[in-house]
Amino acid sequence: MIEVEGIRKRYGDFVAVDDVSFDAAAGEVIGFLGPNGAGKTTMMRILTGYLPATDGTACIAGHDIHDEPLAARRAIGYLPETPPLYPEMRVHSYLAYVAKLKDVPRTRRREAVERAIERCGLTDVVRRPIAQLSKGYRQRVGIAQAIVHEPQVLILDEPTVGLDPNQILEIRELLGRLARASSDGAGHTIVLSTHILPEVEALCRRVILIREGRKVLDRPLAEIKQEDGSLEAAFARLTLRGDAAPSGTVPVDAIADAAPGGDA
Amino acid sequence: MRHVGAIAGREIRSYFTSPVAYAVLVLFSLLGGFFFVLQLSSFNAAIAFYQQTQQMEALASVNLNDYLIFGFYQLMWLVLLILVPGLTMGLFSTEKANATEELLLTSPVTIWEIVLGKYLAAAAMVTLLVAVLAALTGILFAYGDPEPWQTAAGLLGVWLVGLAYAAVGSFTSSVTRSPLIAFFFAVFLLFLFFMLGPAADMGMAGSTGGDAGGLLAALRWLSSEGHFNELTTGLVDTRSLAYFGFLIGVFLLLTKASVESVRWR
Repeated sequence: MIEVEGIRKRYGDFVAVDDVSFDAAAGEVIGFLGPNGAGKTTMMRILTGYLPATDGTACIAGHDIHDEPLAARRAIGYLPETPPLYPEMRVHSYLAYVAKLKDVPRTRRREAVERAIERCGLTDVVRRPIAQLSKGYRQRVGIAQAIVHEPQVLILDEPTVGLDPNQILEIRELLGRLARASSDGAGHTIVLSTHILPEVEALCRRVILIREGRKVLDRPLAEIKQEDGSLEAAFARLTLRGDAAPSGTVPVDAIADAAPGGDA
Repeated sequence: MRHVGAIAGREIRSYFTSPVAYAVLVLFSLLGGFFFVLQLSSFNAAIAFYQQTQQMEALASVNLNDYLIFGFYQLMWLVLLILVPGLTMGLFSTEKANATEELLLTSPVTIWEIVLGKYLAAAAMVTLLVAVLAALTGILFAYGDPEPWQTAAGLLGVWLVGLAYAAVGSFTSSVTRSPLIAFFFAVFLLFLFFMLGPAADMGMAGSTGGDAGGLLAALRWLSSEGHFNELTTGLVDTRSLAYFGFLIGVFLLLTKASVESVRWR
């Protein structure tokens, strides 16, 4: 469903994503992990066609993101870090608008919007302007716009960031329903970008970890737990040292005296 | 191009759910009414003056088109210079501020569809303003007999100027995430265009021909003033139409490049 081939993204001298490749089968739910600034968002933005890659390519549902960008984008539902909402619009008309943008045929549009509203628990607020909604509800509207066209691939960038604990639970439950539908073969291939590990443990079967733009881990969650004991331990083992030695080539003790470096 | 309608429709609805459309319409109607009455009373004063002083030749030359409508449209042109940037300032800048730009650019939509959709929404609002102007002018037809074709050419001129301003405003809105900056940048650019004509005239008056002549003529052509005046005097010339088409085309191209430029970084 997703085939990523040597994606690299350079901003001037800074390499945000460096030669990342992975495949995802239909219905797979993948946790895309990494510390802040590791290149997660950049990677999501490349897959969704917001940014072009400097090198490498990717296929979404059989469509190359360079050669058939529109077809590839049609197959993707995307929730960016900040949900893309128009505050003055009402929930229902916003979702109808997104359905038009995503090429849901006119005859199926009403049904698609109703289904997204129902799946995301928005029935009570459909007539409300988005500006009046709580952050948790806004996040749900954000998820609803990502699934309204029943995309084969769903890409979610930090869907629970900035929510209160109750809202986090609600969103996690909603994502859980989407993920379960996926593993039953009835839903989307999901890439969930986050650095909140319990979320990954609750939702994903497979974990990809990137650090400083490079993929450092790509394994089923069960194997990781077996080897490192827990996802936290694996995350720490693979990323903590990176903070102390950003280049990865300098021995750790050699820079112990040096001034603390910035977060990449 | 099937998304153009969806994008334009959303934009127009958003004009009317926020105070923007109402503010611009009310302001335009108020200023329009004010300048209309002003022009009307000075027209009446001119007629009264010529009658009293028995200047029959001058009296015969006074007509509604040249003495009233022309001046009225010129004043409204300046009103558009301020109000059209108000209409366009949020077109692209708020997409950046709301992070909805990411939705548009990751949807199966081309950049031209985005630019044209938004431009058409602004163009529809400009058309609405010109309709208000047409209604005000229509009052004159009820009580007098202005030249209909010359009046129509004048309205066409105002409309084209408004459309060109909307293209300039779209561009300035696409380079910033702040509607306020987009507004002032557009007003600045439009004043610059406005000043080109008079500035070139001054240059021509001062120069004795030679190398600067061609450049000044080019500047004169770039200024919207001459083309607008031609239209308001009833002269519908393909050169004037081409000028406005050129201006709109160039600024829509610039807008497209500016929207696309997120992908160049």
